[in-house]
Amino acid sequence: MNNNRYKILFVEDEENIRTFMSALLEANGYQVILAANCSEAKMMYFSYVPDLVILDLGLPDKDGSSFLSEVRSSDSTPFIVLSARSDESEKVRLLDLGANDFVTKPFGSAELLARVRTCLRNFCHSSDGGRLPGAKFTLMDMVIDYDARRIFLRGEEIKLTQTEYNIIALLSEHCGKMMTYSAIIKAVWREYPDDGNIKRLQVNMANIRKKLGLRPGNNKYIVNELGVGYRLQDES
Amino acid sequence: MGEKTLKHIKNALVMLLILGVTFFISLVLQDVLTMQEHITTVFVFAVFLVSLITDGYLYGILTAFLGVIAVNFAFTFPYFAFNFTIPENFFSALIMIVISLMTSALTTKLKKWQELKAEGEHEKMRANLLRAVSHDLRTPLTTIYGSSSAIIDNYDSLSDESKRKMILGIKDDSQWLIGMVENLLSITRIDSGNVKLIKSPTVLEELVDSVILKFKKRYPDVKLSIDIPDEVVIIPMDPILIEQVIINILENAVHHALGMTKISFTVKLNDGSARFEISDDGCGIEKERLDRIFTGYYDITEQSTDAKRRNAGIGLSVCATIIKAHGGSITAANSSSGGAIFSFTLDASEPNEEEI
Repeated sequence: MNNNRYKILFVEDEENIRTFMSALLEANGYQVILAANCSEAKMMYFSYVPDLVILDLGLPDKDGSSFLSEVRSSDSTPFIVLSARSDESEKVRLLDLGANDFVTKPFGSAELLARVRTCLRNFCHSSDGGRLPGAKFTLMDMVIDYDARRIFLRGEEIKLTQTEYNIIALLSEHCGKMMTYSAIIKAVWREYPDDGNIKRLQVNMANIRKKLGLRPGNNKYIVNELGVGYRLQDES
Repeated sequence: MGEKTLKHIKNALVMLLILGVTFFISLVLQDVLTMQEHITTVFVFAVFLVSLITDGYLYGILTAFLGVIAVNFAFTFPYFAFNFTIPENFFSALIMIVISLMTSALTTKLKKWQELKAEGEHEKMRANLLRAVSHDLRTPLTTIYGSSSAIIDNYDSLSDESKRKMILGIKDDSQWLIGMVENLLSITRIDSGNVKLIKSPTVLEELVDSVILKFKKRYPDVKLSIDIPDEVVIIPMDPILIEQVIINILENAVHHALGMTKISFTVKLNDGSARFEISDDGCGIEKERLDRIFTGYYDITEQSTDAKRRNAGIGLSVCATIIKAHGGSITAANSSSGGAIFSFTLDASEPNEEEI
């Protein structure tokens, strides 16, 4: 049992935060490995090979993002970034560097645990799911049939345009990961993002929400992060 | 750089206009009224005017020189020819230059003084804000520090129930602190130097969605009804700041509208502007508070020891600052049925002209 738990590497220089986070994660059945700076994080990462990394950005020796990009050059282990900065451009930069999600400090325990669960579950599923022949993607009562390029909601087909389907399919392949506007635009339109195509994406997204019958405050499949991007979520 | 050139062009135009008018008046004085002895006085007046209106010393002195040349050339014997041997010319040139220097020095001083005064007001507002905030921070910090040290010092003697209560108090008051910090961050986001607000096209529906999620997380039991246009509306704004405005107004209703049973939030479009309206069916706002509701926090005369009440103050002051920075307007009123209505407007016209 003990060896079967998910391993989480938590990198944070504040001792108080390390203390409560390791207590919280241990209490919820995760094995926690702690690191207080970048070089320690690197050492711990390569000796323990964690399933998930929770990374604080302001580290004493180096900026946390350098650790993220170093790991990303070889591994796809999910990263959740803790950031005290509420600046959207910073969030976008980190997501584009390969972070799966971010949590802004200060955060509640429930919020953090939900992100951890989402990250771990989706990473394990997406490594074998995805584009195999006959592959289907299920999210609550929504099913995507990749071969037929069709989407069903409670068994009924939702008529989407090509572009709308491409957006949803892209989000589903990265389910649980916050996708920035620019990442979606590059993948769907193969264009460099500017104000014009961000608007195009926003309008397409609005149509998708309408077709899925989603109302503000009740977007149960698609989470929007203002000024950053979208994420398909599997837990509300 | 462009602004500087523009200023120079403006100053030069003012100078040329005044000189032209002076020249014309002098011509009239000389040829029609034959009172050329007053021409120098008219030019002295022109020098004074130019020094007063333009920025710096350059244009005043330039006018003095041009004035001397004009008087010498056109209005003293020999007419329409230069003659620098007449001593009166040197005398009037000297007077004009001295007047120009003195006037320019005076106006420059005056402008500097005005700037200093504005800066002083700003400083005063900042100092007031700082004082009020630090005062308000003490109440929640007292709870947090007091409760946590009570728990740690009496861990075994306290009942589980009272420990639970104290921890809940810590949680509540930290949440209050988070709200306060968010508001302060919003102010610095606008106030930090000369950084202009960065507006990005924002889908109204996504903004409202984000607001509802945040609000529901904190106040799951408050009834909130939403009415926004069906079509896709894209409004240029700083979405994080506008989200803060709406949340502050909603929170204000939760904490201060006594007897409130539901809040309604509507957005209407007309004539390229979006009108956001948040109304409740609570007790409304007292008349005396109504005119200063958006500025009260900066006002040191408002002394209240109730921190919860003061935080509402900073929340609404922040709303006003944010909406002002967006070029919109914000109002508070009481509805005929008794509750309070807060509303603000934002420019929702397509930003095609400025962006392409």
